[in-house]
Amino acid sequence: MSDAKAIADRLMKLRRLNALLTPPKDLRKSLNAQAAAARPTGVLYGMPVAVKDNICTLEFTTSCGSRILEGYRSPYEATAVSKLKAAGALIAGKTNCDEFAMGSSTEHSAYGRVVHPLDKARVPGGSSGGSAALVGAGAIPAALGSETGGSVRQPASFCGVVGIKPTYGRVSRFGLVAFGSSLDQIGVFGRSVHDAARVLSVISGRDARDATCEDRDPLRLPTVPESLQGFVIGLPREYFPPELDPAVRRACERAVRLMKEQGAAIREVSLPHTPYAVPTYYVIAPAEASSNLARYDGVRYGPRFNGSADVRALYRSTRGQGFGAEVRRRILVGTYVLSAGYYDAYYRRAQQMRALIAQDFRNVFDRGVDLLFTPTTPTPAFKAGEKLGDPIAMYLSDIFTVTANLAGLPAMSIPIGRVKGLPIGGQLIGQAFLEDEMIEAAYALERVVPATDEA
Amino acid sequence: MSVTRDEVLRIARLAELDVEEETLPELAEQMSRILDYVAQLSAVPANGTVKAFVPGPDAIRFRVDEVSPAPLAFGPDEFAPVFKEGFFVVPRLDQFE
Repeated sequence: MSDAKAIADRLMKLRRLNALLTPPKDLRKSLNAQAAAARPTGVLYGMPVAVKDNICTLEFTTSCGSRILEGYRSPYEATAVSKLKAAGALIAGKTNCDEFAMGSSTEHSAYGRVVHPLDKARVPGGSSGGSAALVGAGAIPAALGSETGGSVRQPASFCGVVGIKPTYGRVSRFGLVAFGSSLDQIGVFGRSVHDAARVLSVISGRDARDATCEDRDPLRLPTVPESLQGFVIGLPREYFPPELDPAVRRACERAVRLMKEQGAAIREVSLPHTPYAVPTYYVIAPAEASSNLARYDGVRYGPRFNGSADVRALYRSTRGQGFGAEVRRRILVGTYVLSAGYYDAYYRRAQQMRALIAQDFRNVFDRGVDLLFTPTTPTPAFKAGEKLGDPIAMYLSDIFTVTANLAGLPAMSIPIGRVKGLPIGGQLIGQAFLEDEMIEAAYALERVVPATDEA
Repeated sequence: MSVTRDEVLRIARLAELDVEEETLPELAEQMSRILDYVAQLSAVPANGTVKAFVPGPDAIRFRVDEVSPAPLAFGPDEFAPVFKEGFFVVPRLDQFE
């Protein structure tokens, strides 16, 4: 078992990344106590797992990267965290993230931006950027993140690690702070497919405290396959547009060639409604966020900001000063699309488009395709500040990931090459509750792909 | 521009959110761009034949109707900003809107 002190030291050496929000003293103290209490028979005994700051823990505060929850101690912990602890894992602090998981670069945290582990001028992706950066820097073997539109896979791709978003309903969301309830899932980062998969297997499975968590046994880990014989892998043409970064295209083509050499049948397919996925997402997610974030009013928990004159002034000043610019913008957009007179034009349309996007996937899977392979992101990690002034440019960095959230499907990113030293991720999208097949293919791809070579 | 300054103020009131006067022009501009961008959804056939899709189980499972203790490690007196005699304390409402 790794020594609690060694884990804390490794994490503290990386403070320049600003990836961990837990103060060093609290981290050391808690790791010592957890190590003493950990069950030696657990399958993750001694494994340090850092947890995104929007997942409730009893050991550490849960701020969601926001001023409005600064210093908030949750009186309960997430089921995923309880399961990790029961398996002997050590909760290695809370990771920095975009405020309330809204962002694609981890620049929208009230506690400062997270730095990319390989290039300090770049972003680690987001919103689970802190978790991705710590695994990418080699400080910990695995971490928890959360996904609403790609917040695990996109930073996993940027930081050169494995990131899995399970099927909607595979992992309990009890204790995950809600953002877009029809989209949110807890996801995992690992330095390898195996590390990510075994953490996912531990946190998955039924939970009486989450009615949206399906009544299923935990995910069973597949074995590493000999080959990809028998797998039919679809390449959706909409995910390889002409403007795709040439290095990303080269890396994908190399990965496809390797999968073919492993025996997979490769088939070009079409998901025709893909171009509408980002606009659909940016109606549905803000609408749900505006509703979920209505609870932060300074009354029951979290700090209050001024507004002592009147209860309404208390709400407005607490929310106005407690939320950052991106969260305020999304609450306003969400409130707008749900307001009288606009609901049909925006929200209802988006719900219908979501159905068409989900149907696209069903059509492809019904025709014998087992899995889809795509780039995870259109480009490698971008520079800090590059997209801050242009929300739509930022939103478009999730263009290949939002579809799996809209359709509720499992998907993962694995490193498939580099360009000028920056990691490139390849994405596998699977069928609902068939994570085992997706992970099997990922094992096979991981074994042969030169993940740290230039593409 | 599809969203005016006054509309931002109206929406902010609905959202119980203070917005600073000097940020209004930028907010109106950004909201307009976002809403113009998502307006491409009007490509959906508007005949209403497409049913909305929500992932997850088709029906909510009922659980046994039993009272069980809330799994709280500590009470609201430790996490509420102001808590007194079993109540969350707030300033009084001056007037109804």
